[in-house]
Amino acid sequence: MHDHGTNDAERYRDSNLNKVLLIGNPNVGKSALFGLLTGKYVTVSNYPGTTVEVTYGNAVLNKTRTLVIDTPGVNSLVPMSEDEKVTRDMLLTDRAGVVVQVADAKNLRRGLLITLQLAEMGVPFILDLNMDDEAKSRGIMVDQEKLSRMLGIEVVKTVAIRRSGIDRLLKSIQHPRRSPAGVQYDDAMETGVRDISAFLPETNISARSLALMILAGDESLRGWLHANLQDKVISKIEKIRQEVQSKFNNSLGYLINQRRLKKADEILSQVLSLHEAGKGSTIAFHIGRWSMHPIYGLPILAFVLYLVYQFVGVFGAGDAVGFLEETVFGEYLNPWATKIVTFVFPVPFIQELLIGDYGLITMALTYAIAIVLPIVGFFFIAFGILEDSGYLPRLAVMVNKVFKVMGLNGKAVLPMVLGLGCDTMATLTTRILETKKERILVTLLLALGVPCSAQLGVILGMVSGLSGIATAIWLGSIVVVMLLVGYIASKIVPGEPSDFVLELPPIRVPQLMNIFVKTLARVQWYLKEAVPLFMLGTFILFVGHKIGALAYIQQITDPLVVGMLGLPSKAAEAFVIGFLRRDYGAAGLFMLAKGGMLDPIQIVVSLVVITLFVPCIANFFMMVKERGMKAALYMVAFIFPFAFAVGGALNWVLRTLKVAL
Amino acid sequence: MSEHKKMDTIEGKAGHPALCVLPEIEKEDELLEIIWTLREEGTLTWDQILQGCQIDGCEAILRDLAKNGWIDIKGQTVEMRPKGEKRGRELVRRHRLSLRLFYDLFALDGAEAEACKFEHILSPEVTDSVCTLLGHPPNSPDGKPIPRGECCAMFRQEMKPLVAPLADLIPGEKGKIVFITPGSHSRLDRLSAMGVVPGSIVKLHQKRPSYVIQLGETMVAVDKDITKEIFVKKV
Repeated sequence: MHDHGTNDAERYRDSNLNKVLLIGNPNVGKSALFGLLTGKYVTVSNYPGTTVEVTYGNAVLNKTRTLVIDTPGVNSLVPMSEDEKVTRDMLLTDRAGVVVQVADAKNLRRGLLITLQLAEMGVPFILDLNMDDEAKSRGIMVDQEKLSRMLGIEVVKTVAIRRSGIDRLLKSIQHPRRSPAGVQYDDAMETGVRDISAFLPETNISARSLALMILAGDESLRGWLHANLQDKVISKIEKIRQEVQSKFNNSLGYLINQRRLKKADEILSQVLSLHEAGKGSTIAFHIGRWSMHPIYGLPILAFVLYLVYQFVGVFGAGDAVGFLEETVFGEYLNPWATKIVTFVFPVPFIQELLIGDYGLITMALTYAIAIVLPIVGFFFIAFGILEDSGYLPRLAVMVNKVFKVMGLNGKAVLPMVLGLGCDTMATLTTRILETKKERILVTLLLALGVPCSAQLGVILGMVSGLSGIATAIWLGSIVVVMLLVGYIASKIVPGEPSDFVLELPPIRVPQLMNIFVKTLARVQWYLKEAVPLFMLGTFILFVGHKIGALAYIQQITDPLVVGMLGLPSKAAEAFVIGFLRRDYGAAGLFMLAKGGMLDPIQIVVSLVVITLFVPCIANFFMMVKERGMKAALYMVAFIFPFAFAVGGALNWVLRTLKVAL
Repeated sequence: MSEHKKMDTIEGKAGHPALCVLPEIEKEDELLEIIWTLREEGTLTWDQILQGCQIDGCEAILRDLAKNGWIDIKGQTVEMRPKGEKRGRELVRRHRLSLRLFYDLFALDGAEAEACKFEHILSPEVTDSVCTLLGHPPNSPDGKPIPRGECCAMFRQEMKPLVAPLADLIPGEKGKIVFITPGSHSRLDRLSAMGVVPGSIVKLHQKRPSYVIQLGETMVAVDKDITKEIFVKKV
């Protein structure tokens, strides 16, 4: 999800420790098992060159120091997503290790689809049937001995969250074997596989499995192929692939999966027995159902939002910020810093740079650590809980139709919700979206209308002093603007929307350890990536202030702010700052409102304008990085004038209709 | 295995004119069909038949049909005799069912040309299977009635088709996937990795606010369009 710890990942990749890779479908309890095996020493890192988070941990297994890796969940080892590509690449290119395939005992069919691919790859592995308790309670019994004989590898059963079966698992890890279980494909495909295999170099995995990936039309292998083979050979391989494909009506990838599933069903029919099911429906099951019910889903959504608001907005932005800002920084750190700086640097210029109105310590650090950090931190905890509980995909089900209006689908809700925490990070996660069009649309909407938690904190503070109608007008304006801009942009931006296909994991109680680890990694990212930009932003402000540029810009924007928006000229300062960070701008407006310089209409208008601003300079840099300079500049050139135009229109409407707020 | 063989028969000759060079027996078939259609329109006369007929030696074949007891010819008046009636009815039924098959299910251009060939090779059993597969459709795509068969009578009470798009199930109902018409290849690849292949049992969990399907213990939210492409047999 972010850039931190790339070096960690590279270090781990090359270390000489014994290595255990946990591989399996999403939501089969890999992380719980990982937690059991590793304990405390855990790092979350991005796999080099990707945004995919991989968790690494050190453990002593069977008296040997071992590196345990929790790989991203996969449905197939022919990647359809960046996550799946990372897992496949770990098998293909990284130093080989012992593979533990974790499968959901009650969903063995999909597990076997992976098992058969691991067998094809010829990697030594063992199979762990996890969540055996849930399978039993549903009357699903797996004959583990027979399965082990049929696959030719060790098969163990565990219930990771209850530590059951771990001893046997550890014993089995010492005896990984290659599985002889194979799948026979159509003659034409087998010929293709043989022909392609002849061209392939030796790797960690069998040439047969690589050839099958190529046949399946695996785009993600392109880079690897070009790095390892001559162009001439690649075009020969591509020709073979096309020849084989021309003999079939359906895509080869589909036919290969179909054949594998058939084999999986053959195995299942011999090892699976169904008994009278116990009570399959638990409370979690019902919550899962209700949370995407067309009617009950809405109050549940409202309740979840309320809890998040209480946790992040009231507790995080209120109590935690109050404590850090007023007590820790206000009473201790800033006075101390002031004393020390005044003592150490008797030069007024440096003093002002560090502890003045736009001081790096008194403004930037106080702001970044005392105000934004607690809000973002609490948000990350809440987001982690939502993520692990399985609620977020159900939220996508609820909002799918609304997002369709904007040329997107429900999946886009994930970066949007993350944007409520930090738009910069959310812009990075737009990579989970499948088409370029969707990425552009979400990047634009994030920059335009999704307030990040820092800004939201300030905005909610201002709104709380207003009537319900004022709040509704602010919220309504933003929502309408987003829908409208999304709708129009979806017509203008070329490209296709993608299918909405989203797996819904069962609702689960999140594992605290897992959330702790994830939150820590994200906070680290915030400190490393965002805080320096706060410093830079403050420094630019400081310089602007010193050379009088700030006053100059204020002078220019004054007629706009006073004339069009009907705001006092002091508000122009807030907007200028808002160019750098919109939460700074919001904070500036907050001070004005607190000082009684704004009437309710002015508050609402100024809030709408500042909400529609580009979030911060870091977000702009991220837009450039992810979407390219041209696209980023287009968006910014649209957003700022547009924000003022919407504010002006709103001001005119409210004044003309003489709305009393 | 059968994938490519099937393609040859269905797609290989698309676009040819509807009336091709045919063996004698098939020429008779064509004429009986023309007679049937003209009678439906109420314009069945000797001249009309000759006008609608594009086969060489039309007159001779008509005389043969009369000689062998399929039809009666008295001047301008042409009538089907009982065994001609039966044969015509089956032919028209096969033709129009084939049209539906190619037009609806395979979305083929030139469905008319294909149907013209397909009707001659369908056995009665296969015809009934096709009819059942398509849900005993009352009309062909051009709106003309499809003569009912025995299979239709059997299912008269239960007019629900045996095989229907997953989208047509009622939430909570389960079906076995019979076939999938792929809108796009990558879509099919991804769904198949989740177990969506012919033979799998799938349950329609809900339709609103979004379609959610369930396979075994796996729940997947999908677009409505996708559920229209998955054809299931209710179980």
